[in-house]
Amino acid sequence: MANASNTVSGSLAHSALTTRSGTRRRLDSFLSDLGVRIGLAIFVVWTLAPVAWMVISSLLTPVSLTSLPPDLSPGQFTWMNYQGVLATGQSLLPAMRNSLIVSALTTSIALALGSAAAYAIARLETPGGNRLAVMVLATQMFPGIVIIIPLFIVLSRLGLIDTYAGLVLVYLSFVLPIVIWIMKGFFEAIPPDLERAAAIDGATTWQTFTRIVLPISLPPLFAAGIFAFIESWNEFMFAIVLTRLQTKTAPIAISEFAGQYQTAVGQMVAAATLASVPIIALALVFRSYILKGFAEGAIKG
Amino acid sequence: MSDVTLVDVTKRYGNVEACRGVNLQVADGEFVTLLGPSGCGKSTTLNMIAGLESVTAGDILIDGTRVNDFTPFERDVAMVFQQYALYPHMTVAENIGFPLRLHKRSKTETAARVHDVANLLELGPLLDRLPRELSGGQQQRVALGRAIIREPRIFLFDEPFSNLDAALRLRMRTEIKLLHARLGVTSIFVTHDQEEALSISDRIAVMRQGIVEQYGTPAEIYAAPTSTYVARFIGSPPMDILSGSLEQRDGSLYYVVGDAAFPISDSVWSSLDPATPVDLGIRSEYVHLTSVDDGTPATVQVVQPVGPSTVVTTAWNGGSLTARAPGMADIQPGTHVGLRLDPSKLLFFDRETGHRLR
Repeated sequence: MANASNTVSGSLAHSALTTRSGTRRRLDSFLSDLGVRIGLAIFVVWTLAPVAWMVISSLLTPVSLTSLPPDLSPGQFTWMNYQGVLATGQSLLPAMRNSLIVSALTTSIALALGSAAAYAIARLETPGGNRLAVMVLATQMFPGIVIIIPLFIVLSRLGLIDTYAGLVLVYLSFVLPIVIWIMKGFFEAIPPDLERAAAIDGATTWQTFTRIVLPISLPPLFAAGIFAFIESWNEFMFAIVLTRLQTKTAPIAISEFAGQYQTAVGQMVAAATLASVPIIALALVFRSYILKGFAEGAIKG
Repeated sequence: MSDVTLVDVTKRYGNVEACRGVNLQVADGEFVTLLGPSGCGKSTTLNMIAGLESVTAGDILIDGTRVNDFTPFERDVAMVFQQYALYPHMTVAENIGFPLRLHKRSKTETAARVHDVANLLELGPLLDRLPRELSGGQQQRVALGRAIIREPRIFLFDEPFSNLDAALRLRMRTEIKLLHARLGVTSIFVTHDQEEALSISDRIAVMRQGIVEQYGTPAEIYAAPTSTYVARFIGSPPMDILSGSLEQRDGSLYYVVGDAAFPISDSVWSSLDPATPVDLGIRSEYVHLTSVDDGTPATVQVVQPVGPSTVVTTAWNGGSLTARAPGMADIQPGTHVGLRLDPSKLLFFDRETGHRLR
C-alpha cells in the first residue's frame, strides 16, 4: 500500500514537474515573442514618424504648422499647399518627369548590365573575377563629394551637363555596384546542377542565363531594381551640381521651395509628399517580389 | 546505343588528383555503376564522361570517337542529377520538353514526345504542375523524363536516388531496371550505396582514391573481391577480415586469431607463401553457428534479426566474427557457441598490400 501511494505521488510529482517546465517554456516563448514585437513596433514608429509628420504637415495651414505646439484641430487641415505646389509652376511636375526618366533609365541599364556582370563573376570562369568584384565594391567606399568637382569637369568637357545621359552615367556608377553584389549573391546560391542540366540539354551559356537563370531570379531582380530606382530618385548632390533647367530632378525642385528670404514649408512638404508617391506605389506593387528577393536568397533546385 | 571507353583518364584540380588513370569499358547497352565512398572520384569520372568537366589527361571515347573536346550536347548524353535539377519556373511538361524546344523542334512534335514520355513514366496527370508541387519521387521521374525525351546515346545518373526515402529508393531501383530493359540505352550510374549497385548493375566499378579498384559483375565483386577494400565495402554486413596467422598444430593447419583457431585445408596451405602475412576474409553467411564443442568457441555479443536471416556478432578473446543464422533465430547474447567456417569460401589477402591471394 505504502508502495503504491509512493508510486502515485511520484508520478504526480513528475507530472507537476513537466507541467511547470511546459508553462515555463510557454512563458519564455511568449516573452521573447513580446520582445520581438516591441522591438519591431519601435522600429516601425521610428521609421514612419518622419513620413507621417511630412504628410500631416503638408496638410496644415502655415499658421498652424508654425505655432508651438502645432495646431492639429480639424479646421486647420487644408489642400492649399498642394494647390500651391501644382499652381505656382515651381516646376515640380516637370522635375518629377525628369526623375522618372533618369531613374527608369538608370534602373534598366543597371539591371541589364549588373545581372550579366554578376553572373560572369559568380559563375563563369572570369579571369580575376573575385578581384573584380572587390574593386567594384571599392568604388562605394569613398564619399561621392570627393569626386564631384572632377566629375563636373569631365561631364562638361563631354557636353553632358544638364543631360539625361550625364546623370544616368553618374548614377550608374553607384547603383551598378550594388546591383552586381545583390545579384552575385543570389546567383552563387543557385544550385550548379541547374546550369549543368541546361548544359546537358544543349543550352549555350547565354541560353542558360536568359532561359533558366534570369527567370528564376525575378525576386532579386525586382529587389535590386527597386533599390536602384529609389537611389536614383532620391539622389540630390550630383543632381544639383550636374543639372540646370532641362533635367532638374524632383529633389532639386523640392529644395527650391526654400528661398533666400522665405521658405514655403507647407508647399515644400507637399511637394516632398507628391514626390514620394511613385516610390511608395512601386514598392507596394512589387512588394511580394521584393520580400522574396531579400528573404529567400536562393532557389531550390 | 553506344559503347564508352575511358583510357587512363586523369583529373587534377591544382595539386589534388581526383582521378588517377581511370580505365573503363562500357559495352553497348550495358548498365555500369561507379561505386565508392564520397571523394573517391566517381562523380568526377561521370562529369568527365558527360563533358561537364575537362579531362586533364587520357581519353574518353564514345563509339570509338575521342570526345574529350566535345560539349555535353555533342556527346549526346543525358544526365539525371542527385537534386533532380528541375527548372523551378517551368511546368513538368516544359521541363521534359526543354531539350526539344531548345533545339527548335516543332510544337506539335514536342507535345507528342512529351506526351509519350509522360505516359511511359506515369506523369500524365502532373504535366501542368510546377516541380515544387511534386513529391521527391515524382520530381525524380520528371528528371528521368527530361533525359529520356532526348533519346540520347548514353544515360548518366549521378546518385539519383539518394534524396529519396528508403521505400521509394527500392521502387525506383525496379523502375530503372525496367526502363533500362525497355530502352536498352547504355547507362552509367554513380552511387555510394553498395546494395543499390549490386541490385541494378550489369557491372560495377568499385573506386577508391581516384582509381578503379575492381571492375566486374555484382557476383564477382561480392564473392571474389580483389582486395580487402572491396571486401569491406561490399555487403551488409561487410565481409569480416581477420588479422591472424597460419599455424601448424598436431599435424593440422589452423588460422589462429587470438584464442581462436580455425581449421584450414591443405590445399589452402600449399597455395600460400608462409613468409607472407595474410588476412582471412569471410562473409557472414559462410560462418555457421554450432554447439560449443563442435566448432571454434566464441560468445554471442549482438543479435540482429533482419528477416530472412539473423546477423549474429560473436567474439572471443582476441577477435570477433559475424555469423548468420537462418530466419529469425532465437539466440541470446552471452550464449557460448561454436563457429564453423565454410572452407571453400575462405579468402586470403596479403596483409601488406590488401590484395587477394586466393
